[in-house]
Amino acid sequence: MSDSPVRTEGLSKVFYDASRGEVNAVDAVDLDCSRGEILGLLGANGAGKTTTLRMLSTILRPTSGHAWLMGHEVRAQPERVRAELGFYSASTALYPKITPRETLRFFAQVNGYPPKSVEARVEELIDRFRIGDYADARVEKLSSGMKQKVSIARTVAHDPPVLIFDEPTVALDVLNAIELRKIISDLRSDGKAILFSTHVMSEAEQLCDRIAIIHHGRILAVETLDGLREATGLHYLEDIFVHYAGVKDADAAAEANISSEGAGASPPGAAPRGDRKEREGSSK
Amino acid sequence: MDLRQIWILYRHEVRSALRERSIVAMSIVVPLIMYPALLWAGFSAMSFVEGQAERLTSRVAISGLPAAHAPLADSLRAHDRISVIEWDGEPEEALRGVALGRLDVFMGFGPPGAGTEGLADNIQVELAYNEASDRSRAARVRVESTMRSYRETWVDEARTDLGIRNPAWADFAFVRDDVATAEEGIRFVLGLLVPFLTLIMVALASYYPAIDATAGERERSTWETLMTVAAPRANVAAAKYLYVATFGAVGGLLNVTALALSLRWILTPTGGAEELATGSIPFGALPVIAMGTMLLGLLVAAGMLVFAVFARNFKEGQSMITPFYLAMIFPAILVQSPDIEFTASLAIVPVVNVALLIREAILGSIPLLPGVVTLVSMTVFVGLAVAFAQWVMRREEVFLGASEGGLGTFLKRRLGVRGREA
Repeated sequence: MSDSPVRTEGLSKVFYDASRGEVNAVDAVDLDCSRGEILGLLGANGAGKTTTLRMLSTILRPTSGHAWLMGHEVRAQPERVRAELGFYSASTALYPKITPRETLRFFAQVNGYPPKSVEARVEELIDRFRIGDYADARVEKLSSGMKQKVSIARTVAHDPPVLIFDEPTVALDVLNAIELRKIISDLRSDGKAILFSTHVMSEAEQLCDRIAIIHHGRILAVETLDGLREATGLHYLEDIFVHYAGVKDADAAAEANISSEGAGASPPGAAPRGDRKEREGSSK
Repeated sequence: MDLRQIWILYRHEVRSALRERSIVAMSIVVPLIMYPALLWAGFSAMSFVEGQAERLTSRVAISGLPAAHAPLADSLRAHDRISVIEWDGEPEEALRGVALGRLDVFMGFGPPGAGTEGLADNIQVELAYNEASDRSRAARVRVESTMRSYRETWVDEARTDLGIRNPAWADFAFVRDDVATAEEGIRFVLGLLVPFLTLIMVALASYYPAIDATAGERERSTWETLMTVAAPRANVAAAKYLYVATFGAVGGLLNVTALALSLRWILTPTGGAEELATGSIPFGALPVIAMGTMLLGLLVAAGMLVFAVFARNFKEGQSMITPFYLAMIFPAILVQSPDIEFTASLAIVPVVNVALLIREAILGSIPLLPGVVTLVSMTVFVGLAVAFAQWVMRREEVFLGASEGGLGTFLKRRLGVRGREA
């Protein structure tokens, strides 16, 4: 068994939709993320990034498959998983009526940080994220940049080994987005295992050690940027992404027995395509 | 269950709520000020209206008064608040005048009733007044009082003329004696008022916290933040439940305390304050009221959370919770009837039993069996309500706000068509 802090095997989520019936939001996802690594989850809107990360953070229950964080299975030990995890997304807002100091204290306490060390941890975070000037003002009075810093400090309040950032820059201006990426990069230096979802190619290029391309709920490739370039013969991540997404759609078309014309050549090393070839080969 | 963790979550909920103006207003300020102020204003208005009626001159029309009884008209005229109008028109017109408020009383004189014809100059008086008018009621009282004096004098003279002397004439005496003290009278009123206001106050004080703890979190996008803390869902639900119950119970207790402390001030316009000795609510009733209020708070909190947890925003929360709120008010209206007896069988009915228990405590005596049944019944119902609330709130689709519709839709789905989410 891998000792990666984050690992998934066949992780799937099926939703029921009144008009569409059963929808495979995430389909048999296999991932892992090591300490001191940022694994980017790159996909279009609705690709299954958020659902995957929500299952990892135990907000959603997987329909099938498994996921482990620091060795704890998400369905069997959800509280243990959450204790090892810091989760940040555009929909994890701060409590407006309390102060940043109270926020950090609350999240450190409730996530099981040693009680005697909580105050020291709060001060450490206030210093590190330079929020001392407004640590005792109510969150509702802060600017969005200030809130963002407090929000990240909140995410790491209990010093978790695994961090999840779900499209963290989606509502930020350029300067705040740059600062956020810098903070995430620093957290990697601290040895955190970081999952970072985005649909912004440049972000994934700059920040991620490895990139998982996800499309229609399936992981199409997981590689370093150089590895992806080598596998596809393309330089720009955007081209690489379109290449994989196109292949996936061609596969779907082939499976539906429509047409695979124009889907382009199969990229060397592309797992789903290779699997298909292997299956075809074995059937002969 | 990690009590320390629940305490941390609970303290966090309460701290945030105490800084929310609307919650503080509805759960603390309103119970402290609104009902005492409303009651004072109500009593003041009543006293003002009564005082107004007392100061006004009564317009009394008389018709068909026999000459032998002319002194009656003189007696009426001698009253400094009665203006006598000799009515020459049709009686129906005078009656219409009373109904429309142009006259206060119409006195129609006629022959005596059967069996009293033998008495010389005997008459029968018909008083028409308007019960819906303060001024007319006050006029009737004045006229009847003057009539009574005149009648006694007239009967006395008639008896003398007939040669009947005391003690042959001695009538049997009818003496009224109200054994209730003024304080007991006020307790009777409080026994009706306090349970009613306590029920309303507990429901009102729980209302906003219940929505705030559920739909409010979703609307502020803090719900998902909370879902990622390392606490079991049951602990999060327990903390939210305790938060709502605390506000409900505290709101109810503050209301009763404010009422007790301000009762003299409230009753001042009626003159009732002078009749109060010390403390209007008996000291012994206070623990019963406190316990009853807490039980109500615990029950109402569970009920309200069950409804509110399905809401995705404050508006939805309000519309989902209001039917439950109204259902809580209904028993409060029911116990307003002083004729409802606090029996052991009625003590099984939740909410009604607590209201009656508080009423009996204020009146000064609690029947043992209904009291015990109330405690057992409320404990059982609170337990069931909490268990149900926990069961509902721990469902993934509910906790995550993915369940469409309210409690009814959820139950239908759970009990009927299962597996909407594969």
